[in-house]
Amino acid sequence: MLLSNDAGFTAALTGADFARYAAGRLKTGALHKELAAKGFVREMTDFEGCAAACAKKNAFLNAGPGLHILVMTLRCNHKCLYCQSSAVGAAGGGKTDMSRAVARRSVDFALKSTNPSITIEFQGGEPLLNWDALRDAVLYARRRGRELGREVRLALVSNFSLMTEEKARFLVENEVSVCTSLDGPAGLHNRNRVFTGGNSHSETARWLKYFSERAAKQVPDYKTFNPSALLTVSRFSLGREKEIVDEYVRRGLQDIFVRPLAPIGFAKKLWPSIGYTAAEFARFYRNTLAYILKLNAAGKKLRERHAVIMLEKIVNGADPGYLDMRCPCGAAIGQLAYNYNGDLYTCDEGRMVGWEGDDLFKVGNVLKDSYRKVMLAPAARACAAASNLELQPQCSRCAYKPFCGVCPVYNYETQGSLWGDMPSNGRCALSMGMFDALFALLAKPASAKILKGWVAR
Amino acid sequence: MKPLKKTETVFFSREIYSEEAVSLAAAVFDGRAEVSLSKSKGGVTARVSGPENSAGEFCNEALNQQCRLDLGRINSRIASLISTKALLSAAGDKPSARK
Repeated sequence: MLLSNDAGFTAALTGADFARYAAGRLKTGALHKELAAKGFVREMTDFEGCAAACAKKNAFLNAGPGLHILVMTLRCNHKCLYCQSSAVGAAGGGKTDMSRAVARRSVDFALKSTNPSITIEFQGGEPLLNWDALRDAVLYARRRGRELGREVRLALVSNFSLMTEEKARFLVENEVSVCTSLDGPAGLHNRNRVFTGGNSHSETARWLKYFSERAAKQVPDYKTFNPSALLTVSRFSLGREKEIVDEYVRRGLQDIFVRPLAPIGFAKKLWPSIGYTAAEFARFYRNTLAYILKLNAAGKKLRERHAVIMLEKIVNGADPGYLDMRCPCGAAIGQLAYNYNGDLYTCDEGRMVGWEGDDLFKVGNVLKDSYRKVMLAPAARACAAASNLELQPQCSRCAYKPFCGVCPVYNYETQGSLWGDMPSNGRCALSMGMFDALFALLAKPASAKILKGWVAR
Repeated sequence: MKPLKKTETVFFSREIYSEEAVSLAAAVFDGRAEVSLSKSKGGVTARVSGPENSAGEFCNEALNQQCRLDLGRINSRIASLISTKALLSAAGDKPSARK
């Protein structure tokens, strides 16, 4: 039995202990002392301590949007089976490319954020297809950040297929961190990530090696970041957990981010052939975590990112800055998606819904609207209300509430309303599966030691 | 082949379901099934016409909406504090001085 409270404290009880606790018969002993210290015994609760823990965990409520996603182009040279990003073909005459002017206005808009530390993430489509505007935006963001004395982090999400030595050097020298997709060994990766112009996996591997080597040789002039990669789990990944993890180890990656598919965008149409049930994903996640822990026990260093994000909350009581799992969610108040034409959306998923012809999640345009107007746009307010777990019937009493979050875009796309219906919500089932796996491992001393080590400070 | 359309009638008792909850459920079902609502003695009657299981799913949605409304009556104060704080912080508003 798992107990949790809004301060983020948890306690695992046996059925018998829980029965004694619930009946008010647990009045002495070590367990009583533990529960009292964690705020589970009303007459002994340190309310100031709990309030401080709440404030630390929910520090994001004072911050404003930290993540600014610039969609440099909708064009892409890949045709991934599960793509949600509304990408169009690599050709297309640049009609869906962000111009330099819009990119600069987007940077200016991002710098109006109340958040003292912002990240500008260049995405697509494949952003390297619009290199000139991307390069200009990087230099402009660096210059404006210096002039305004603002901390600006820059990140690029790319499939690397158009990377060159010159571009890579520019990114490294301008402290742009890079992130790519790696779905496993070559056969699996290339099956998911269809690239008619070459071998997607070999390009990914080549540039991961390049950026890892650059990060290993730090120079005094700038900070070089380790590259990171995302794993999108398709039906073809199921049962291949070890091969996938081994591939990440082989490529020298420090983290693996196991991300489930969502039946939205392009993936919605192909769901019967590439999707899976929440139970199937939970099994995949459990197996993956178990194998990673086994490697950790043997001295290999690899962490699973979802687990790290949740552990930051569970173990450290801190806000890891993950916008998809918080209350309210990060829609507009934590992130903004800037479409190629300057249209602003609550998030990248909201932008994809817009591309399908429904602008419910549009909050403005960088060329026309003020920052304040965008932050208080109807879509921003609606998402802040709909993702408030205090108003979600199932979530409000869930033991995982202090660490979880709902997604209004997912709810809207799959269940027809921003609020959704959690008992039959696929994302809720996936999150439950991951929390179940994590808390089961935290209950075992050997695995708990490794997991806590992932977020030790 | 066109999926079969099934029509069912469901009665929602006022003792459990408010009119608002049933109307909200009907709005959610826009595009999924045809729902027509009429006031009846002691509640609301819904005529649901759509693919197999539409009426059952509509009942689930009506229950979901009713639970949400009930919960809102209990938690709306704390929920409003949280959402308002997040929105105003993001918009750049400073908290007003306490009097």
